[in-house]
Amino acid sequence: MSVRLQPELRNQLIQFGIGDWNACYHCGTCTAICPLSEKGFLFPRNKIRLMQMGVKDELETSVEPWLCYYCGDCTKSCPRDANPGELMMSLRRYLTSKYDWTGLSRKFYTSGVWELGFILVFAALVVIAFLFLLPAYGFKFTTELTAQGGVQVNAFAPWEYIEIFDWSMAAVVALLLISNILRMYYKIIWKDGKTTVSIWTHIREFWLLIYNFVVQPRFSKCEDKNYWLSHWFLMSGYTIMFIVIVVYLEWFQTDEILPFWHPQRTLGYYATFGLLFGLFVAIIGRIRKKRIKFQFSHVSDWLFLIMLTLTVITGILIHIFRINGMAWATYISYIAHMAILVPMILIEVPFSKWSHLAYRPFAVYFQQLKKHAVPRKSNQ
Amino acid sequence: MKKAGSTGVFIYNPPIAIPYPFDITEITCYLSSFPNVVRIWQYPDFPWSEKNLVKMITEHQLERLVIVGVLCGTVKTLFSKAMTLAGKNPRHVYLASFDEYGIELTKDLDRAKSLLAHMITDIPMEVNPAGIQPITQPATLVIGGGIAGIQAALEIAYSNNTVYLVEKSGTIGGKMATFDKTFPTLDCAACILTPKMVEVNQHPFINLMSYAEVQDINGSPGNYTVKILKKARKVNVQTCIGCGTCAEKCPAQEPSEFDFGTTMRKAIYIPFPQAVPNKYMIDAASCIYIKNGKCRACVKACPVPDCINLDEQDATVDINVGNIIVATGYKPFNASRMAEFGYGKFPNVLTSLEFERLLNASGPTGGNIHLRSQDKKGNWIFTADTPKPHRIAIIHCVGSRDKNYNKYCSRVCCMYSLKFSHLVMEKLSDAEIFEYFIDMRSFGKGYEEFYERIKSEEVEIIRGKTAKIEEKDGKLFIRGEDILKNDLIENVVDMVILSVGLEPSEDTAKLSAMMGIPISEGGWFNELSYDIEPTATIRGGIHLAGTCQGPKDIPDSVAQGSAAAAKVIRSILKGTVSQEHDFIPQEKIKSYLAEIEK
Repeated sequence: MSVRLQPELRNQLIQFGIGDWNACYHCGTCTAICPLSEKGFLFPRNKIRLMQMGVKDELETSVEPWLCYYCGDCTKSCPRDANPGELMMSLRRYLTSKYDWTGLSRKFYTSGVWELGFILVFAALVVIAFLFLLPAYGFKFTTELTAQGGVQVNAFAPWEYIEIFDWSMAAVVALLLISNILRMYYKIIWKDGKTTVSIWTHIREFWLLIYNFVVQPRFSKCEDKNYWLSHWFLMSGYTIMFIVIVVYLEWFQTDEILPFWHPQRTLGYYATFGLLFGLFVAIIGRIRKKRIKFQFSHVSDWLFLIMLTLTVITGILIHIFRINGMAWATYISYIAHMAILVPMILIEVPFSKWSHLAYRPFAVYFQQLKKHAVPRKSNQ
Repeated sequence: MKKAGSTGVFIYNPPIAIPYPFDITEITCYLSSFPNVVRIWQYPDFPWSEKNLVKMITEHQLERLVIVGVLCGTVKTLFSKAMTLAGKNPRHVYLASFDEYGIELTKDLDRAKSLLAHMITDIPMEVNPAGIQPITQPATLVIGGGIAGIQAALEIAYSNNTVYLVEKSGTIGGKMATFDKTFPTLDCAACILTPKMVEVNQHPFINLMSYAEVQDINGSPGNYTVKILKKARKVNVQTCIGCGTCAEKCPAQEPSEFDFGTTMRKAIYIPFPQAVPNKYMIDAASCIYIKNGKCRACVKACPVPDCINLDEQDATVDINVGNIIVATGYKPFNASRMAEFGYGKFPNVLTSLEFERLLNASGPTGGNIHLRSQDKKGNWIFTADTPKPHRIAIIHCVGSRDKNYNKYCSRVCCMYSLKFSHLVMEKLSDAEIFEYFIDMRSFGKGYEEFYERIKSEEVEIIRGKTAKIEEKDGKLFIRGEDILKNDLIENVVDMVILSVGLEPSEDTAKLSAMMGIPISEGGWFNELSYDIEPTATIRGGIHLAGTCQGPKDIPDSVAQGSAAAAKVIRSILKGTVSQEHDFIPQEKIKSYLAEIEK
């Protein structure tokens, strides 16, 4: 099989954040020191080779970038300052853009104008909807409080309507993400053309996907155990929030002020704490730049962190203003919350950094499938 | 050779300039003896305008102009412009500026004449006006008694000139004395080196100062005063007969410096059996008498009266030398800095220099390869009682080519590692050897052939440096990537040898400040010109030899030792320490001129 070399690939990859593509002299230190690199799935060194030579097809079909959890040991021990850890991160950005069939992911990663424009347009749409669309259906901004002294949120933003919107947005995002995962599956499992995986293996190994999504065991294999914890908090907080808002909004968005120990509030507080803790570690880390994984920040990394932080802060504000009966403040923070949340979900989940919530566990699953793959029967 | 075209000479001596050191008529006479000199002008009828100059050039059909005199550079532009206007090449205006070429006194007439001859006949010349100091001291100081220092000292001494050889440790021989074999010829290192060491000791023109250090250097090129600290050996070198009775009785033990800590020596000791001078010495840090004031076992045992003087103190001596050769060598990279390899933690992770001692027939195990063990006091030493290793891994580039440690390639590690493989195969025929390398640098004469030879000896040569060594039940686990096979290899071995790189020796920075010689990136002494003056420094009369200038192997060190000696001998013969090309003597110019005449 011939291999097509496309040296222009590395120029494209520079936009995704790789540094000096030519620094590596292939000593293999990074692969040897990596706690996650294993037989048959070697990285980062041979991915650097593929990048240097421009073997685009093989890079695009490789699962290894997703198996790296960026502990930074390779970058620390690299004798050439080639920064293999950040290279793997850049490859993940690149692969995200390749799995995406709309081409938007590539735009968002390589052009700040596109990303910012997208955010502003959707934020404006949300604001317009709240100011003009919902009032047209008879919902209003009212300063009248409930008997408990809380704000009537549902009078201004009825949960039935918001939930319909949540479901439709979830459907759009899920559709995009699932189609991207199918493309990922096609590239990783099918495109190499040499092996085949039985259906039974697909079913038998499926538990790995769930297990890796919930526990993230590979993350804890990296040297840095503390980071696993803070990331896990972030992830669990987000997941709880997601489920509560999309599925149980009726139960979550009430006008009644429930007692402190009611599960509605405790769950909400846990999720908020988890998100804040994870975000705090990540933001402080990226500012202090002590951990190697935080030393090199792409624009997309910062944008994601800032938007998620703003979402959480506006969410907290809604809660505080509502139970204290501050009607206008509640409405404004509600609109701001939605104006940040909607574009963030639309950009990050299917097209950008957040898509790793699906790609990571799927990659472990696909890796397991590849291990059980058998050589394909030749048709020729 | 091409004959220079018709030349016009302007003697420029305006009254404002510095007066001429000698009679102008003599210069004029000398100038007119050249056949291509068409016209000579002197200051009074100096053509101050371009117009006049152009007229002169065209009238006499001048191809070249030479301006002779003091401060003549000030009028060059005028002359160049005139040449252009006259349709000639403006570059053919030459300056014979007396002040620039150091011609100041009446006795410099010969020098002035050579300068004029060069300019008028267009003989290419490289002259530099910098001061030429007369050498006052014919003696030479060599700092460092390794192979480069020994070679330089012998070369100079055999030209019948005095050499002071100052060595920091108790014996000369340097690192080469610790080696078993040299690559690629597999010569016995001691067999080549020890005769030279003995020669140094016996040469009447070499004043060997072992166990001494240079403390201060003063003076100017050609006349340096060097203060040397002679550390107290506490044993009289003249009367000691080297019998060893004292060491037998001595109760104190210390790790041996010569064996890189892999054997124990007494407080009174000889660095190694073939040491030069082959006399005992006392290490003050470990001597019980010096620490507690009680013992004197060696004094009681010594058969020579008054040979051991435990109260001897350090002394300084001043010597006067004209030239200095620096040959301070290198120190091995400290492998414990790379914690991932576990050197200093796992006993059977060795550095290459420790392994050299293990291989050496005069080493701790008599040249048999045994695992390292711990003695009663907890020192990791080599003895012949432990089992022999079966699987040995050699890791290249430890501390070299690494931005976290040293960026440069240490040049010798690849080849000595290959040499190790060969020597292990020779001594343990059933051993399995794994060489982990990044790039194989076998650049010298016979080196690539040596590499091919080792490859054919069933040594596993793996491309890919490892990253981590772990120990379990006395076995060493190595994880590495085989880059050519694109595979991960997890290897279990008995012994790991770290091929450590070279670093400048500790005193390099101190010496550089003392002598005023810059240090280059990496900490090595900076030579004057990497390509054409590899032994000279910016300081006149101070030369470099061996690895103190940069990592190099034995042949290169020896070559540089000889080259530095050649510079010194030239300086002694000429009586100057100038680095520059000297003027060609008058007779040479005359014969050259006669040749053109034909």
